[in-house]
Amino acid sequence: MYQSFLQFYMNFAIMTLEGVAMKKTNELAIEVSHVYKTFKQYYDKANTLKEKLLFFKKRSGNDCLKILNDINITISKGESVALIGTNGSGKSTLLKLMTKIIYPNSGKIIVNGKVASLLELGAGFHPDFSGRENIYFNASIFGMTKQQIDNRIDDIIAFSELEDFIDNPVRTYSSGMYMRLAFAVAINVSADILLIDEILAVGDQHFQEKCFAKIKQLKKEGKTIVFVSHSMEQVNEFCDRAVWLYKGSVKKIGATKEVCDEYLKVCG
Amino acid sequence: MKLIKDLYQYRELLKTNIKKEIRGKYKGAWLGVLWSFLNPLLMLAVYAIIFPLILKNDIPHYTMFLFTAMMPWNFFTSTVNGCSYSIIASGNIIKKVYFPREILPISIVLSNTVNFLITCIIMVVFLLLSGVGITPYILLFPVILIIQEVLLFGISFILSAVTVYARDVEHIVNVGLMALFYGTPIVYSLSMIPIEFRKFIFLNPMTSIIEGYRSILFYHTWPNFMHLGIVFIVSILIFIVGLFIFRKLEKGFAEEL
Repeated sequence: MYQSFLQFYMNFAIMTLEGVAMKKTNELAIEVSHVYKTFKQYYDKANTLKEKLLFFKKRSGNDCLKILNDINITISKGESVALIGTNGSGKSTLLKLMTKIIYPNSGKIIVNGKVASLLELGAGFHPDFSGRENIYFNASIFGMTKQQIDNRIDDIIAFSELEDFIDNPVRTYSSGMYMRLAFAVAINVSADILLIDEILAVGDQHFQEKCFAKIKQLKKEGKTIVFVSHSMEQVNEFCDRAVWLYKGSVKKIGATKEVCDEYLKVCG
Repeated sequence: MKLIKDLYQYRELLKTNIKKEIRGKYKGAWLGVLWSFLNPLLMLAVYAIIFPLILKNDIPHYTMFLFTAMMPWNFFTSTVNGCSYSIIASGNIIKKVYFPREILPISIVLSNTVNFLITCIIMVVFLLLSGVGITPYILLFPVILIIQEVLLFGISFILSAVTVYARDVEHIVNVGLMALFYGTPIVYSLSMIPIEFRKFIFLNPMTSIIEGYRSILFYHTWPNFMHLGIVFIVSILIFIVGLFIFRKLEKGFAEEL
């Protein structure tokens, strides 16, 4: 009795605190300013000193691949933005930059809030551990504490629909089950910003719809969403704005419909 | 400061990582984590057989003399060896998810610390059994341990980050550690070194640390606080420089791996 009261007050306090925090940083979720990114191109990676000396002359000059050129994007809290463009236009690189997996050569990326990336699902799953253990491990990579995971574990398992297999080692899972578990973890880590890279090819029709519904719900809750997709239908359905990347530069930013229509006209 | 905040937020990851490190070491072994106990015990048995019987020398209680220095040294080498590969070993996750990369070398240091503490239990038991005994000086143990930890954190930051860019470091480290083993008074005592070389041996920070352990555990005297103080300051410097290097280099980890 006493404990539940305490819990209630704690929750209340946390909620108020969060409210204050939200108000304070109500402006921008992601700010990308003047970002340049080049990748070194490794033709045949010269790893040893001998090779480096021998190929010194050959490797001079243009072995850098420019991926992103002077990107400027601002995304406010609660907005959902789509990144569209042909293959190799730098969409995924931009997402990776936002997660801080890689860093820009110059320019600045400011991210306010906790990020959950649905880029590479199931990263760090250990095949020999059970599904349940992997949930703990995977969620802890996202920066959750044990207690937070304890609170969520039932949601996660329910969402993945893997109740019967959750204590089996992950290596026995089918690829669909694997993805479902990974998606369930990533979407339940209570992040402020979700980065989604074409992962909605997860599972069957039923599960996909469930994912869409969940993302919509998160959007309603005021989460910021950055969404990479080639499917204009999905983009139109989810996003307030769209950014069209072409060969590493922003070609057009604006309302989803406008940008999509023009994109389809050019690339359709 | 950012490091402490990150570590606090990702404490669960740190915890599971340490656990995985300790359990993973003995994975597939029938006796499992029990090896943490058995390993030093067997090593002690080997010393106890070889030195009094085959390689006789004048130092009384030579087995314990060796043991009190060898265990901290093993802690040092296994950590340094382990951390230089720590980032590369987790390359898969680094390329996919963001988390404070410092956690990887830190969990290596901490998991080895746990192993070392287990070893120390055995050490204390055998100090009592062998007749060397323990004295209140043992209370200084945490002080020396902390100095060693700071030094190890610094070294691990540097080595783990640099190894990503130049894998040669791993091999250099191997040879370097072997050389350092003979450059540290482990198998011999400090008094065996000719006076004119003695100042050089103190250039090796591990000398003061090992001597410190030996003073409180074996000789039952005060450790040389001046030497320990110098090593502590040097360790803090290495730590700061190491963290700085790590922060510089970590930005390229995902691309380099």
